[in-house]
Amino acid sequence: MSTPTLDIRNLSVSYSTPRGELKALRNVSIQIPNKKIVGIVGESGCGKSTLISAISKLMATNATVKSGEIEFHNSDILKISNQQMSELLGTDISLVFQDPMQTHNPVLSIGRQMVDIQFRDRLSKVEKYNRASEMLSLVGIPDAEERLKQYPFEFSGGMRQRIAIAMALMAKPSLLIADEPTTALDATLEVQIIKRLRELQDEIGCSILFISHHLGVIAELCDEVVVMYAGEVVESGSVRDVFHSPAHPYTKALLECDPGHIKEKTRNLPTIPGEIPDLVNLSTGCVFAERCSKKHDACEERPQFSSLNTEHFVACHLTGQENAQ
Amino acid sequence: MSALLEIDDVRVSFSLRSGLLSSAGSIDAVSGVSLKIEEGQTYGIVGESGSGKSTLARAITGLHHASEGSIRYRGQELKGLPEKEFRKLRKEIVMMFQDPIGSLSPRLSIGSLITEPFKIQGMKNTDLNAEAKRLLAMVGLPAEFAGRYPYQISGGQARRVGVARALALNPKLLIADEPTAGLDVSIQGEMLNLLAKLQDKLGLAIMIITHNLNVVRHITDKVGIMYLGKLVEEGNTDNVFSKPQHPYTLALLAANPEPDPDAQLMRIELAGEPPSLLNRPKGCEFHTRCPFVQSSCRHEIPKWNNSGSVSAYRCSFPEIWENADHG
Amino acid sequence: MTSDVGKMNETKSRSELSDIFYHLVRDPLGLVGLIIVGLIVFSAIFAPWIVPYDPIAMNIPDRMQGPSLSHLAGTDQLGRDTFSRVIMGGRVALQVAIPTIGGAITIGLILGMIAGYGPKWLDNVIVLLFDTVRSFPTVMFALAVVALVGPSLNTVILVIMVTSIPTYGRVVRTLTQSLRNSEFIEAERSLGASVFRIMRVHILPNVIGPIAVLAAMDIPTVIGLEAGLSFLGMGVKPPTPSWGSLLNDGYNLIRNTPWLIIAGGIPLILTTLGFTFLGEALRDVVDPKLRGRGK
Repeated sequence: MSTPTLDIRNLSVSYSTPRGELKALRNVSIQIPNKKIVGIVGESGCGKSTLISAISKLMATNATVKSGEIEFHNSDILKISNQQMSELLGTDISLVFQDPMQTHNPVLSIGRQMVDIQFRDRLSKVEKYNRASEMLSLVGIPDAEERLKQYPFEFSGGMRQRIAIAMALMAKPSLLIADEPTTALDATLEVQIIKRLRELQDEIGCSILFISHHLGVIAELCDEVVVMYAGEVVESGSVRDVFHSPAHPYTKALLECDPGHIKEKTRNLPTIPGEIPDLVNLSTGCVFAERCSKKHDACEERPQFSSLNTEHFVACHLTGQENAQ
Repeated sequence: MSALLEIDDVRVSFSLRSGLLSSAGSIDAVSGVSLKIEEGQTYGIVGESGSGKSTLARAITGLHHASEGSIRYRGQELKGLPEKEFRKLRKEIVMMFQDPIGSLSPRLSIGSLITEPFKIQGMKNTDLNAEAKRLLAMVGLPAEFAGRYPYQISGGQARRVGVARALALNPKLLIADEPTAGLDVSIQGEMLNLLAKLQDKLGLAIMIITHNLNVVRHITDKVGIMYLGKLVEEGNTDNVFSKPQHPYTLALLAANPEPDPDAQLMRIELAGEPPSLLNRPKGCEFHTRCPFVQSSCRHEIPKWNNSGSVSAYRCSFPEIWENADHG
Repeated sequence: MTSDVGKMNETKSRSELSDIFYHLVRDPLGLVGLIIVGLIVFSAIFAPWIVPYDPIAMNIPDRMQGPSLSHLAGTDQLGRDTFSRVIMGGRVALQVAIPTIGGAITIGLILGMIAGYGPKWLDNVIVLLFDTVRSFPTVMFALAVVALVGPSLNTVILVIMVTSIPTYGRVVRTLTQSLRNSEFIEAERSLGASVFRIMRVHILPNVIGPIAVLAAMDIPTVIGLEAGLSFLGMGVKPPTPSWGSLLNDGYNLIRNTPWLIIAGGIPLILTTLGFTFLGEALRDVVDPKLRGRGK
């Protein structure tokens, strides 16, 4: 078993707010194996933004890491200096964000920006331009050389996102982190970009951490999936396992709510009633308990992780009972 | 007996900024759309960016001017109606906007916001507090929300406030612009269920504008697919979903797959991006992206075909994937 | 997607003004500004009761004394107590500043909203008006008017007000234009709200914030302008004390006593600092609110 590209162990992050300590992430452990695509599924408040900010060391000023390690290339990201981190970002770890309209500097041409981010490489300007134009073609932008002279406003949202992916992959990173990169795009564009991403990942051989709330896309693109709820990991495993045999009540409910999943036409769509719990005043039991249809007495206590097979893990008392550890 | 809303070959153009002396032309955001909505019916308009769906919605409510065509509500022509006359109809034709918090005036309390319709219509003798309470209860929000401000509530809650405001005066036609955009999957259903419930209770007709086909499938009776300002397919929801005729409809269906890694999906990938409205493709406007494009598509404009038992469509080679050999 | 986490557990809302106040006192500069402005306003309002001497009472035997226990800032060339004149001068300053800025804001708001929301031709006319007024150099214009009509407090107020209108008008116009296409205005239009209603209920409250900030920063300018005009003898008529006329007297008597200049200058400096700090702090507090992000 080779070392995973990214190994997050027991990560806990809190924000200090006027109302108290907001425990955004609690004991989160996620592994991203080499050359694999791992998806994180979760809704508002699940902590995925906090997770990204912790990995990239771009956390808000009121955030503190309470515990845990994030191991990447044999060092703990949480312990390295900001200087060392900035050397990693853009070379070994690349990021693609959600809003393609805000990703680029509006007053510089795309070509200029793509050349600028190659500042660490000892190539001539012409060589850098050529590389940039190659990458643009790779992500499916025609007439790449001409387009390098253009400014971001001359590109549509879909194209800008492709450019963002091109820029992220230009340095051939070991890990690409994509935070809801297709959420702001039309579904038909999403299809194209996902396909392109898969092809590029194959070629470049990087690992991808892909955050999305679009279950269909995760099923399509990812090898493994991690389901997060209110700051905790509730289930993780291969995409096949989790989507075909969801073990956690939240995962099950989520799949049931997904409109792509509902076959029969109905005027009473399933939902998960209630809201996520107050992350400042958390109860000691299972975090999903109050919205769970299968809640029972054992749920007063926090469930431990149990494994259904070598890859499939779930934090639920019900499974725990079936597979006593 | 005329339909509640009848739209006939409506065109909405925007002229472009130009120099001092010349005009740079205009674009047709909506270029010839016709449809009918009956009382109590739910109609879904599905399209992606640039399809003109939001513009169409705004033309119906008079926020944009239709340059050609006719928009009739209960037989009364809305196009060109002076605002003074339109105002009376605004009790019956209402709109819900896409940005839940952005569509609420930031300095007004929720209570004031949802009773705006009463004030605007000059209904002086209403007990506004009581109405606010009633409306909040109708959408499942606690009465104390009346004192809150838009920046203090969540997106989902703001959406409900939008519903409450729209339904304040018991309208007959609600136009909902992307009612579920940005909502978590687990609560999308809540919004749609709420709309369905209110529709049953108030006998409301709803026009839903969305880019999400799956949302439309459950709550609409009829659906119209828009591309580049025109309808490319229209029919009963069940028909359109079970037997799509136009390649774009198929592509939309394929783009919203179920979360099943082993699902046997029709892998439809559209080429490129939607063309610019300044440079409409010749022939069938979809041909630049159609995975099944034939040579005639590049210069022949397909006619609107609404005979037969399937949905109406605008394609020279409907259901081509059934007959053609594709990879 | 919006994160609903922080908002789900909101408690009752504080009233908006108390919210602004709350944040203002927590900012060190804001606190200082608030205190200084508070002092100035307080002393201006209660001037007649707190002045130790009648500001215009002459007392020749005691003329041109330096500061002492009986005359905190000394006396001027006519034996009048400088300190009392300073306090009374504050009153004059505010008597000029408040109606001037108040009037400029009111008219600027109305014209600016009409320009920003109304038809293009009206916008063009109003902007032309603004630009014309702004093209007059303020002080020259003031001097010209005063030369025609004669110096008086009211003339000063009128002149400064008219020349300040375009400043506020333009800002209101720009803000209105940017708000005009927001979704909530569209929503109100779809409900049938009239143009007047939209301007009064939906645009006005959103535009007042930045204007208030501008006004706070403008008050010292207006006070300075009045002082300048009075210094030139074009402002308030003697014996009414004004900081400007104090400076004028001090200038003439600088060889005899420096205290008059100091007494005239310090309040001007203090006022400028106080209002500027307050304005800056106010801007920081008001801005995030306008973006709707809450505290």
